[in-house]
Amino acid sequence: MKKIRQEFADTLLEVGEVDNDFVVMVGDISHGILQPFAKKFPGRYYNIGICEPTIVNMAAGLSKLNITPVVHTIAPFITERSYEQIKLDFGYQNLPINIVSVGGAFDYAQLGCSHHCYTDVSLICHFKRGTVVIPGSCMEFNILFKESYKNGLINYYRIPEFPHGIEISREKIKFGEGVLISEGSDVTIVTTGTQLKNAVEAAEALKKDGISVEILYYHTIKPFDGELLRKSLSKTKHLLCVEELSAHDGLFNLCLRNSYEIDGIKYKQMAIEDFVHGYGTYEELCEKIGLNSNGIINKVKTFIK
Amino acid sequence: MNNDLRIKIAEMVKRSGEGHLPSSYSIVDIIDFLYGKVLKYNPKKPDWEDRDYFILSKGHGCGGFYVVLHKYGFITDQDIQDYSTITGVLGGHPDMTIVPGAEASTGSLGHGFPTSMGIALGLKIKNMDNKVFALLGDGECHEGTIWESANVAANLKLGSLCAIIDWNKSGAQLMPIDDLPAKWKSFGWEVHEIDGHSEEEMANCFGKLNFEKVGVPKVIIAHTIKGKGVSFIEGHGPWHHKIPSELEMNQIVNELSK
Repeated sequence: MKKIRQEFADTLLEVGEVDNDFVVMVGDISHGILQPFAKKFPGRYYNIGICEPTIVNMAAGLSKLNITPVVHTIAPFITERSYEQIKLDFGYQNLPINIVSVGGAFDYAQLGCSHHCYTDVSLICHFKRGTVVIPGSCMEFNILFKESYKNGLINYYRIPEFPHGIEISREKIKFGEGVLISEGSDVTIVTTGTQLKNAVEAAEALKKDGISVEILYYHTIKPFDGELLRKSLSKTKHLLCVEELSAHDGLFNLCLRNSYEIDGIKYKQMAIEDFVHGYGTYEELCEKIGLNSNGIINKVKTFIK
Repeated sequence: MNNDLRIKIAEMVKRSGEGHLPSSYSIVDIIDFLYGKVLKYNPKKPDWEDRDYFILSKGHGCGGFYVVLHKYGFITDQDIQDYSTITGVLGGHPDMTIVPGAEASTGSLGHGFPTSMGIALGLKIKNMDNKVFALLGDGECHEGTIWESANVAANLKLGSLCAIIDWNKSGAQLMPIDDLPAKWKSFGWEVHEIDGHSEEEMANCFGKLNFEKVGVPKVIIAHTIKGKGVSFIEGHGPWHHKIPSELEMNQIVNELSK
């Protein structure tokens, strides 16, 4: 299966043909897959160096000249390490930027916690002008990036290492809109990124046990499609949020903020509570903290009998 | 020596109860020289495409910046009067979204300089001839992003970029081994040293700079005196963020009026 990171490179090549006014700066990653872009568009690609905050600072300078910056490196370094740069140079100064990361959550599982990142999404959500996209497939990246990268905002695209593999029709992918994956009546599972795969597997298993699951998939975290959520929860009255984000401020928080006025909702969350120590594979780390289909099944059964 | 501007800075600080007098006094001569003799700009159209860029990376010295913006027509008497008030646009650090002529919202040290490098890169990409000047503090040179940028700008051959270091020796209070010229030279920059209060030395130095779109970035290390112009403010001590009393204000005006 094609990697979404490769789609990022391919999409830049596609967009570069029609837009002369964007420049790509990377922090010494994806250098190989971006070579076609670099060769085709000389002067619009820079492997700046291993200095993420400075790369973000520089992007503000480009923005001032009406050049759309696309900056790209590993999630913890471009968001957490460089957060003051994003906050001041783009939030405070009202400038646009596109930040494209890989290595969100524990996608870089075997490299250890130094390369994990759980808070990136919530950090960008703090900006009124912030948008957050977690494209779970190549098609999603291609559509959502093209739809949003010129919107003048602080756009954050967190590219998962592993596509979710669930087929979604093209017309359902719209920036800022959640996707109803499957209809159900007992519980609403809200999820994002690679975890959609586990949610779908869990829903199929739960169906055999007589539990009807509705799945809402959010490729766009901000702006958040609250209407889709409220419509679903008005019916099911049960929410399970499954996310590879910080348990303290992620998708669950958005769900609460968008549904607390509906009476009688029961809530459960599956997320990342703290550093996930250890050097296993991505799947092994998911299993370690229960973020897999069995974990979802068990969690649903704690409040749907 | 711009004593009239220094008095105006003191009046702003005294009136509002906010400001960094000594940091402003060490740079006001440099900024005035830049706007008077070096930069291309149009105060009626601060975002004029062909302007040169000036970024005050050491944002807390903004008193010295505001009075120059006022002198050259970017901002009004009322703006100066309203400094650091709820109705004003000028505050303790500049906000580029509301201050005409401010190219960056600085305050947190180590931001303005790398942003100026991004501007220089953008100008190179657009094949434009504008120049970029960034004024940094020597204390600000403790920040890691300064040296990240020093590396990157030399590597990208940003010949339109000129850093000016206000070497008022603030940094040396903490790190006495502080050979700034050697450091910048070792990062691949063209290094000049001047007296940052001497118009003659500034004229000689800026006059011989050779700006190119692709070339070696330049740094002017300006020897300055923190608090320059008022005997009891000069140097490193309680005046860094101190507001003058009525008596002290009279003394400041008296010294600067001689």
